[in-house]
Amino acid sequence: MMNSIFTPPVYIQRHEFVVDFVKKNKPKKVIDLGCSNCTLLRKLKFHREIEVLAGVDIDSDVIRNIMYALAPIPSDYLQPGDHPLTINLYQGSVTDRDPRTKGFDLVTSIELIEHLQLEDVDMFTEVVFGYMAPVAAIISTPNADFNPLLPRLTGFRHPQHRFEWTKAEFQTWALKACREFGYVVEFTGVGQIQGQEESIGFCSQIGVFQRVRSLSDASCRQGDVTEERLPYRLLYDVVYPSLCDNNIFHRTLMNEVLYWAETLRKGQMVTAGQGGEHTERLEERMEREESQTGGEQQCGRREVNEELEGQTTAQGHEEPYRAGRSVCIPLARLWSCPRVQALSGTVQHLKEVLLDDPRVEVTEDDTVMVLAGDEEDDDEDPELDENINNAETDQSLDSSVENKDWEIDLG
Amino acid sequence: MFEDTCIEGLLEAAIVMQKGQLARESVKTNTTSIDGEQAIGPGRHNHYYYFFLAVDDICNKTFFRILWVLLLLFCISGSPIDLKANFFKILSRPQWVLYQYHVDFKPVMESRRLRSALLFQHEETLGKARTFDGAILFLPHRLHNSTVLYSETRMGEKVQITVTLTNELPPTSPVCLQFYNIIFRRVLRMLNMQQIGRHYYNPTDPLNIPQHRLTIWPGFTTTILQYESSIMLCTDVSHKVLRSETVLSFMLELRHRTGEQGFTAACTKELVGLIVLTKYNNKTYRIDDIAWDYTPNNTFKRGDSEISFKDYYKTQYSLDISDDHQVLLVSNVKKAGPSGRPPPGPALLVPEFCYLTGLTDKMRADFNIMKDLSTHTRLTPEQREGRLNRFVGNIHRNANAQAELTTWGLNFDNKLLSLKGRVLPAERIFSLALWHLQYEYNPWQADWSKEMRGIPLISCRPLENWIMLFTPRNVDVAQALLQTLNRVSKPLGIPMQKYEDRQESLLKALQQNVNPATQMVVVVLPSNRKDKYDSVKKYLCVDCPTPSQCVVARTLSRQQALMTVATKIALQMNCKMGGELWSVDIPLKQLMIVGIDCYHDTAAGKRSIGALVASLNHGMSRWFSKCVLQSRGQEIMDGLKGALQGALKAWLKHNKCLPSRIIVYRDGVGDGMLQSVVNYEVPQIMGCIKSMEQKYEPKLTVVVVKKRISSRFFARIDGKLTNPPPGTCIDTEVTRPEWYDFFIVSQAVRMGSVSPTHYNVVYDSSGLKPDHMQRLTYKLCHMYYNWQGIIRVPAPCQYAHKLAFLVGQSIHREPNTNLDDFLYYL
Repeated sequence: MMNSIFTPPVYIQRHEFVVDFVKKNKPKKVIDLGCSNCTLLRKLKFHREIEVLAGVDIDSDVIRNIMYALAPIPSDYLQPGDHPLTINLYQGSVTDRDPRTKGFDLVTSIELIEHLQLEDVDMFTEVVFGYMAPVAAIISTPNADFNPLLPRLTGFRHPQHRFEWTKAEFQTWALKACREFGYVVEFTGVGQIQGQEESIGFCSQIGVFQRVRSLSDASCRQGDVTEERLPYRLLYDVVYPSLCDNNIFHRTLMNEVLYWAETLRKGQMVTAGQGGEHTERLEERMEREESQTGGEQQCGRREVNEELEGQTTAQGHEEPYRAGRSVCIPLARLWSCPRVQALSGTVQHLKEVLLDDPRVEVTEDDTVMVLAGDEEDDDEDPELDENINNAETDQSLDSSVENKDWEIDLG
Repeated sequence: MFEDTCIEGLLEAAIVMQKGQLARESVKTNTTSIDGEQAIGPGRHNHYYYFFLAVDDICNKTFFRILWVLLLLFCISGSPIDLKANFFKILSRPQWVLYQYHVDFKPVMESRRLRSALLFQHEETLGKARTFDGAILFLPHRLHNSTVLYSETRMGEKVQITVTLTNELPPTSPVCLQFYNIIFRRVLRMLNMQQIGRHYYNPTDPLNIPQHRLTIWPGFTTTILQYESSIMLCTDVSHKVLRSETVLSFMLELRHRTGEQGFTAACTKELVGLIVLTKYNNKTYRIDDIAWDYTPNNTFKRGDSEISFKDYYKTQYSLDISDDHQVLLVSNVKKAGPSGRPPPGPALLVPEFCYLTGLTDKMRADFNIMKDLSTHTRLTPEQREGRLNRFVGNIHRNANAQAELTTWGLNFDNKLLSLKGRVLPAERIFSLALWHLQYEYNPWQADWSKEMRGIPLISCRPLENWIMLFTPRNVDVAQALLQTLNRVSKPLGIPMQKYEDRQESLLKALQQNVNPATQMVVVVLPSNRKDKYDSVKKYLCVDCPTPSQCVVARTLSRQQALMTVATKIALQMNCKMGGELWSVDIPLKQLMIVGIDCYHDTAAGKRSIGALVASLNHGMSRWFSKCVLQSRGQEIMDGLKGALQGALKAWLKHNKCLPSRIIVYRDGVGDGMLQSVVNYEVPQIMGCIKSMEQKYEPKLTVVVVKKRISSRFFARIDGKLTNPPPGTCIDTEVTRPEWYDFFIVSQAVRMGSVSPTHYNVVYDSSGLKPDHMQRLTYKLCHMYYNWQGIIRVPAPCQYAHKLAFLVGQSIHREPNTNLDDFLYYL
């Protein structure tokens, strides 16, 4: 009913309101109270500046049915994000205090309070503003003043609503909460009909609360979790892959390095046969000059490099060369790949990672030696059945087929 | 003949009886559905069970039971072996039944979601375990025959829901099996595995091949089916190849390589047919086309308003498009729209948000990539068993997974299935036409290249008029090859021709030097560039039919291997000209074996190529080969009918009579095509045979050969889990009750786990014992002349594969009929 009058539907407008707020204020930790089937959370998970995303609902079945929709998808693994992201879903009541809900940057409570018994609202206020004490809170609820504009509506908008507040009632409640817990509130809303009386306000009224006082660290950060009671039940806990995970970072960077090493090697093979020896002589020379200048800084070495390049041809020492079956690539050359640069941040960091990896060696003159595996360049002869019985690969590396919808919807 | 023990003689009567039964049953298999509609008792193909059935008919049980035991002990050839297989039994409560209900809503509710919500308001009646698709409800327990429930919508509307029991499904019913698979998928998702395509993969511990930007996720293929005596989960380790680059970066790199000119064509060739994974949801799409005139700035209709792709992704997923000029990808979505509406039409995808999966044809052809991949993905039997056990262990340990299974009253066995197999006896290899020279091979290695040394072949073609072509750069290797060839065969006087390393000059050299009297053309190729090879084969298979032998110079450059290579080349050349290398004892007379395979040319015009290879003599050493090109959508057998008639005529010419038995090994049948082989191809084959002569009715057997299966077998030998020895035959437990099927591990592998071959006899009027069918199949795996050992399929299948591949990859036309009697495609 309401959805047909507004485009986009008013529930989408509410979510877009939150998304816009998130885009502008970039909160790191967001919790959605009354997350129900997690529609808002599923939208918010694309905003990777958020590092912790939590949802609370009293109904565990609705969460269980939907929670896997919040799991990372393959692309999250293929290109891990820069920021960490943890998603937690809890079963619990918003009138209970759970230490894990403390210290959030944003608490959202979208069309939730009207489902509470009126006498529980004070408890809710106390828990959200006094206990959770987030930096900001977005609280929306139906505007009873707007109800006459909704066709065919008698009573409340939903049979499970315990109350619906007028603009004045909502604002009185909000201002009281602000006075008590040190917040300021701004009133707004979503859903208006063309030509309506402006004073009626929005279909959904929204209060955006901002904390005035900064709290002492002890009370605002969760931490003493172990000592307190945990009334919420954790139903779902997932950590998204991100570059903050050291293993993932290492792997991603090394993949990039080895890919570029291979690309450079291939490029080199095209021009092979020219100046291999030349390159090695240059390396010696570089070493000599380096020893004269002593412990150079990175930038200093760069200068030397540039100077050298000026004296040599295009296939100077900046180019990779082969030593036996390994490929040698000057660190500076690897560093010049934008993706490698972006991942590692500093040359020093890159070097540390390289020193850690058994697949490469970093020589004293900052050349990266990509060690050859035991493979040999081998061509398959088209007419000799060399691998006739080793067909294991083509089976396991089956090309994928489109998703077939096997699943009978779980409802 | 087969083992002539006196016991067998004693039991002859019993066998005859069993044969009769078998023939009846095969016809039944042929005419009834293969989809396993009904619950089926013990295996019928497997002849001792089988015999047991027949015995029951007769009532004289005790006597025949004894006979049956004797049969088990003596009649079946091969020595028993204890095996493990990658199957886990499904344990359900006894008398487990799945209840199927029909659910009606009054008034009618449009939205499926709403219907579910309304129904699930009655958890106290329905219970926690339930599956509902909007109309059909499955529960593990029984409600009253008809239950009426009342719910209320959010709007306060009262809805009457009637739940009517429509079916009680035993565990073996197809619906139930599908249901098991669905439950199992839920369980996999609970283990945090990622679904890509049909299977589930573990993304947390990827293998990387950074050189090619490949990421490999280990995972599992799983299917739950009714096997011989129980419902089992068949699971195998699978690997998914993903690319850690987007389609956009792939396109940019390709453009960089090809330049603007060739980009469009190259891009279409490389991308069309690939499966991509989108960044914003968990769906895969097949690229069907590229929309060259669409960019992210184009708009599409969303609801009532137009929105650009750029804005859509921005608002919907907060994803920014960095390149506004990228062209979009087109995917034809086949799946029907919501509530049965027709498919929504093609989906347009933004390359920047698509990741490539799988391998391109080009990568598949790249030997180095494939080698890298196989070193990562190949697992020894012990590693494989370890992974499977860990997998099932994880299911058992995961609380959520256990809860899901328990609510439905299901569980899995926690260890691999143990079963018995038999190792068929090793064959003796005969070398002279007179059969008096024979040798044996090491049964574990299944290779007789050493044993063959110094033993004359069955027949040798004299090589009098031949030429060798090579580039000036390869003079040395060509000379070396010639010398070694002279050493391995008898001295040959050969005129040698040089050719320039250019395609035109290679062709010109062929045109100038090859004449009808030329018996053989040897070309030393400077590299394995496909175009050169293709042009040689095209000219010599179509325009100027002459057997030819190509060899890449690199293969000859390794001094220490030259002797082996030259021997192989000499043997290969001999075969191509009609020579015969060896044979095995075939204890059936007037038998023609036919092999059929096909090749699907995805690149050029989507044509299919069907190849048929048929034996011409008793020793299975001479073959008739024919290849047909089919346009898309045409049944492969339509074209091969003529080929089969040609084969029968050739047999008639060679043997002065028509064969009294024909056994067709049909390879290249996909999972979904089995039914069409039975319903369409078998009658076609029969019709084609009948048309040869009036009253000509040979005994016919049609066997579908399948190499790409997920069944694996392991043997425990000296306390270690190893591959089963070549010749291992399995026809119990893991076979299907509705089929006459068996597995044979015929080949030996040096690395990784061996992959068994599955044989499914879909039609049989031969009256052959299953044991003899199995042994004959195994014998035929010895007969592929380009490999001095046992291969994984019967030789005619491999020949047909080789022929179809050559035509599909290189020639693209039907080869000249003058070559029909030669194995020119080796």
